[in-house]
Amino acid sequence: MKTPIVDLEGIEKSYGAGLKVLSGVDFELEAGEFVGVVGASGSGKTTLMNILGCLDKPTRGRYMLEGHDVSTLDDNRLSRIRNSRIGFVFQSFNLIPELTVLENLEVPLFYHKIPRRTRKQRSLELLAAVGLSERVTHYPNQLSGGECQRVAIARSLVNDPALLLADEPTGNLDSRSGHEVLELFHKMHLSGRTIVMVTHNLDIASELPRVVEMCDGSILTDRRRGQADAGPDEGTSAEMEVS
Amino acid sequence: MITLLDRIAEVFILGLKSLLRNKLRSLLTMLGMIFGVGSVIAMLSVGAGARYEILSRIQELGICNIIVNSVAPPDEIKHSDNVDWMNRYGITFQDADYIESTFPTVSRLLRVNLVKKRVWHQGTGLEASVLGVEPEHLDMFRLRVGRGRVFNRIDADSAAKVCIVRRALIQQMKSIEDPIGMTLHIGGFPFQVIGVLQKERFRSHMRKALAIDDRAHEIYIPYETSMRVFGTFTYVRRTGSREVSEVELDQIVVRAASSDLVFSTSQMIASMLEHFHDRRDFEIVVPLELLRQSEETQKVFNIVMVLIASISLVVGGIGIANIMLATITERTKEIGIRRALGAQRKDILFQFLTETVAIAVVGGVLGLLFGLIAIWGIVEYTDWKAMIEPHYIGISLLISCSVGMIFGIFPARRAARMDPITALRYE
Repeated sequence: MKTPIVDLEGIEKSYGAGLKVLSGVDFELEAGEFVGVVGASGSGKTTLMNILGCLDKPTRGRYMLEGHDVSTLDDNRLSRIRNSRIGFVFQSFNLIPELTVLENLEVPLFYHKIPRRTRKQRSLELLAAVGLSERVTHYPNQLSGGECQRVAIARSLVNDPALLLADEPTGNLDSRSGHEVLELFHKMHLSGRTIVMVTHNLDIASELPRVVEMCDGSILTDRRRGQADAGPDEGTSAEMEVS
Repeated sequence: MITLLDRIAEVFILGLKSLLRNKLRSLLTMLGMIFGVGSVIAMLSVGAGARYEILSRIQELGICNIIVNSVAPPDEIKHSDNVDWMNRYGITFQDADYIESTFPTVSRLLRVNLVKKRVWHQGTGLEASVLGVEPEHLDMFRLRVGRGRVFNRIDADSAAKVCIVRRALIQQMKSIEDPIGMTLHIGGFPFQVIGVLQKERFRSHMRKALAIDDRAHEIYIPYETSMRVFGTFTYVRRTGSREVSEVELDQIVVRAASSDLVFSTSQMIASMLEHFHDRRDFEIVVPLELLRQSEETQKVFNIVMVLIASISLVVGGIGIANIMLATITERTKEIGIRRALGAQRKDILFQFLTETVAIAVVGGVLGLLFGLIAIWGIVEYTDWKAMIEPHYIGISLLISCSVGMIFGIFPARRAARMDPITALRYE
């Protein structure tokens, strides 16, 4: 059997004594899957993404990333995993405003201790792939929102990650550039990338091959397109309000 | 893989870039550093100048020399005004002979007979201190003759009426003659000028040590000539009275065999003279002692200056730390992004520490320039001496680097300890 990229087992996360944000999440992700995560605010989507992205550690449970248990690693190890195995795309782009487009792309490579020349070469390749070869020396504030997000996507790919995490990548974009960005994600999916994308937009979610719906810290439904509801809690309907 | 040095250089350049982005703020941040390093540099240079000055004084007076001057006892009870009165004081021939023959640590002793006379040449008269000296005397005080010749044994033995003068005296005589071979009338006796000294007059500290009148010119004649022509008596005429004083030797210059022996020798001379003289009619000048004294003062001065400089460095460092803390709050988001993209805590620490050091070092370099300007001002507008040495560059870099490290570590640690999730969410 092939090792799944992500294997979550009974993941719980609580802050302090009372606040339990995730209560027993089981989730498996095969290589090459494109999953949308939907759910109301406070349903635990962001916390789940943080744990998937190794920015946060679960209070209880086991997180296997590419067959390795990462739930107990220290801060330095987690940083290294974020650096080389995970790509982040954020709603607000999160480019560093003081750096040029090219320099922004080089940041993860720098922490990966890649020599300067290779860094530049690799960054330029990826910028070409997202169609921004003309923009390498621009600063983020000189770009449109769509362009910024494309830079961010290119940046998330520079270290060739195993898992791509996107948190509402179209949330700050107008519909046209949002569409372009989505197309980019679909293209990446076709080329074999494993993607988890949080979205509020049901239209977008409906086009994804697999959608996970979260509610009150656990997975409500987990549907693959053309498949029956595979969620653990079949009593609740899929009409859960998502706005 | 890239080396650590490459990374340091890269982060340093990044730090410099962020400095340039906020020029005014960076400059204000650096002010403390600039003043701190500037004052350190100025202090060092003035200190070095003073040290050099003292050293050159000592060299002029001779590090092994002990100068003993005869002085009129200050508590002399004056006899009634109308009586002629003979005052006898000072170093005697016997003293000199005794020192020369019995002190094993003395390598040479030179006798000096000093008289004050008016010097005349073609109707121009000047006050002069006429020093009767032995031939080695000129050598001992590094007096070089620029034109003409020095005394020799023949001059001494024949008590020739020859003299060596300084150029300033010739100039004041307003003579257009060639000074060599010129005749000067000293106290009424004709003396032939045989040499003109190279350097200008002694500096005041030296004149003081050698008991030479500050306003008078020095004229050197052979010791034997001086004794034979002017003798040991000095007459001072006052209204209604005549004072005669006899001083056998106005000055002796004793050279100790080595610089270690200077203090013991001078102590021996002092106790011997105290034993033989019932009044305090002599003074002992030890150049080495002067050096010690000025070094003591110098030390106090240095401590005060170091304190002032460290205070301004600390103030500068606090200023930098303060701005770095503000910068870090401002750049929380960037820290979050970098952490998400894989920066470890130590990477963040390193980045902000390097930035702080960059600010401090740039401040240090500007401080060095400021210090050099300050030195220029000091030298220009005071009579202090200053010396600029090449290692000041290293010192200012070292100081500013350390200040950057010390005051950068706290803000940088704070940046490194930020929680990446909170930092990412920061707007």
